Amino acid sequence: MEYLLHLAIVISIYSILGLSLNLIVGYTGLVSMTQAAFYAIGAYATAIAMTSYDINFFLAILIGIIISGLCALIIGYVLSRFDGDYFTLGSLGFNIIITAILVNWRGFTGGATGIPAIPRPSLFGFDLSTNLTFFILALLAVVVIYFICKFIVRSSFGRVLKAIREDEKAIQVFGYNTHYYKLAIFAIGAMMAAVAGALYASYLSYISPATFDLNESVFILSIVVLGGLANNKGAIWGAALLILLPEALQFVGFPSAVAEELRQVIYGLAIVLFMLYRPQGLVGEYKL
Amino acid sequence: MSTLKIKNLYKHFDGIKAVDRLTLSFEAGKITGLIGPNGSGKSTLINLLTGVVPFDSGIVIVAETTKLSKIRPYEVASFDITRTFQDVRLFEQMPVMDNILVVLTKRSVTGSLFERHKKYHLEKAKEVLEKVGLWEKKDELAANLSYGQRKLLEIARALAMNAETYLFDEPFAGLFPEMIKIVSSVLKELRDKGKTVVLVEHNMELIRELSDYCIVMDSGELLAEGKPSDVLSQKVVMEAYLGE
Amino acid sequence: MSLIPQLILNSLIAGSIYSLVALGFNLIYGTKRFFNLSHGAVAIIGGYIAFYFTKSLGVGIIVSSIIGILAAGILGYLLDRFVFRKLRQRKASDMVFLITSLGLMIVLQAVTALLFTNDFQIFSSQFTSYQIFGGVITQVQIIIIVSVIVISTGLFLLLKKTRFGKMVRAISDDEEVSKIVGIDTNKVIGWVFFIGSAIAGLSGILSGLDIGLEPTMGLSLLFKGVIAAVIGGVGNVYGGILGAFLLAFVENFGIWGISSEWKDVISFGLLIVFLLFRPQGILKK
Repeated sequence: MEYLLHLAIVISIYSILGLSLNLIVGYTGLVSMTQAAFYAIGAYATAIAMTSYDINFFLAILIGIIISGLCALIIGYVLSRFDGDYFTLGSLGFNIIITAILVNWRGFTGGATGIPAIPRPSLFGFDLSTNLTFFILALLAVVVIYFICKFIVRSSFGRVLKAIREDEKAIQVFGYNTHYYKLAIFAIGAMMAAVAGALYASYLSYISPATFDLNESVFILSIVVLGGLANNKGAIWGAALLILLPEALQFVGFPSAVAEELRQVIYGLAIVLFMLYRPQGLVGEYKL
Repeated sequence: MSTLKIKNLYKHFDGIKAVDRLTLSFEAGKITGLIGPNGSGKSTLINLLTGVVPFDSGIVIVAETTKLSKIRPYEVASFDITRTFQDVRLFEQMPVMDNILVVLTKRSVTGSLFERHKKYHLEKAKEVLEKVGLWEKKDELAANLSYGQRKLLEIARALAMNAETYLFDEPFAGLFPEMIKIVSSVLKELRDKGKTVVLVEHNMELIRELSDYCIVMDSGELLAEGKPSDVLSQKVVMEAYLGE
Repeated sequence: MSLIPQLILNSLIAGSIYSLVALGFNLIYGTKRFFNLSHGAVAIIGGYIAFYFTKSLGVGIIVSSIIGILAAGILGYLLDRFVFRKLRQRKASDMVFLITSLGLMIVLQAVTALLFTNDFQIFSSQFTSYQIFGGVITQVQIIIIVSVIVISTGLFLLLKKTRFGKMVRAISDDEEVSKIVGIDTNKVIGWVFFIGSAIAGLSGILSGLDIGLEPTMGLSLLFKGVIAAVIGGVGNVYGGILGAFLLAFVENFGIWGISSEWKDVISFGLLIVFLLFRPQGILKK
């Protein structure tokens, strides 16, 4: 039962990450390889706020969201000047920078050894530290973020994002300054990723830079691609699929060291096969 | 009155002068035909005027008062200018209705975030889609339309902008006669409402029939201008076309 | 103080490796413009295969390297033949190419890790070193610099003087027109992938000899090569070489005084500067 709760919590965290990146990649067409950076900012902001300043979890999440959003505005300002492959290339680079900062700013971030002993959330004295209560918290977060995504996508703003994905120059001619839109959705996605980071930090009680490197951004991108671009439910399915896969492999008998690589082979292959034969992913509506 | 004027507009690509010190003006309440052989710079001119391609030098004057030495694509709408694209640039993976709604709704980030399309947006969309005969297809993805329908959608989108100046880049190419009738009446209606209509077209019949004024370009320069019947009978114009 | 000559030498070596990556990348990019994320993985696999032959099978380093280079070339050819060609045929968008190459990169990296473990591998280090102008340079490093000269000259001759080169340039200008004119674009592009990937394989081998091998190195190696290509002028094959050396020098001299872990940050900063102010790079096409 504890094991299932653990899986459920992890799937929830990655669902949030998938939902956040889907807004950027699936709806707006920007292939971003730096989502792990915002995941990290959320995690670290929460961790530092809780361990060094004794700030309440819920306030710490807020701090993480704000810092992540601000960083996204700065990073996004530079990136939104580029399109297509250059955007991706640039985003890749930002992930590398953020990881380097996390590793090197030892005084603040604990460097490569990270930050230990992050407490579980508590609210007005109610201890939310059991896995069950934490899962409920995480689930709540997924639900809230899912509905926020739905709201965004259904609004006029969401329609403009899709138009940007289809033909950015054309929609500009019709009066839209697309830089602002790209910036806005990039920041929104970053703030959601920060929530995932906060949950991760408190759940695992320990974080280190290695979790948030380029490979993690690649993994989050894979969730979105496999689940189906431009489909919010797809992001959740994608997260579930990719998290459960190595568990299934271990169940069948592969040792855990190999399971990790095997998972990558499987989902890498899946991405290639989907792109070749079913570009809309599992349940996506956007046919690349 | 001229809603759109250009003075000494210049654009070169890798040494080729696509638009060479061009000075023209487009008048309101007229359909101005813009013709010329392939490569004369007509489409490039439209791209320059709508910020799709930046120009090297020269001035664009909007509504007699606003002088522009640089045009950014997202400013174009604020000058009440709109266009169609020769190579049909629709929002493919969106339904016909959304292709129209997206140009009707609020332009600001925060404004659009909290806006769901209202009744009057839907009414306006219905109006333009019915005018081109695409209302039944409103939920169809733009990618699934036939070629002619796609061109009609382009035109509906431009109509929805409610602009003052309309730049149509080869709107008739590849259309069936029934659709040609629809587009012709759209252009005439705009002209009768006092709008500035610029029509880039290869079909001389249509130019003769529709345009009140004609501008001929060749190799990026102004070759001739005047009433269509005058211009089309000029020797230089015929030579330019025969040479192509 | 022999620091500056050493920095110069280090820059030359890094620049050479980046040049090779950039050359291979640019060559392929010319025929189909997309950010091929799998290129780096192919490079590293070339290195691993050479490593396998020399470390585990005891084959001489030179023969192993040739095998590694060929293996990388064949791998690149296969990826084109069975994956990228299909995407070209259905005129898939750039995004599809990008994501597909991402999938390929993930698979290649994971398979490499499965076969060779994630540990950092070092080739045999029995190479003599020499002293030049106060800096130290090993035999390997001399080979690296020589390779760049040889390969870039070879590529120059191939592209400018042979019929094959003409066809490559034609496809680079316009694939559709090339087809109409009668060029078998699939065959030519297949060869381009082979050559470009083989060069990548060489860069992987040399990189392995110089610093060592790790399955995840591919992406950062590619990243450097792409930065070099962008700085030098994307589309200009030799611009990549110029960009590579510029990048290497800025990196090595830039970290003088600060921790070497900021190297990637500096290279990335250089990229951003160029993308913002001179996106077409230094040299024109």
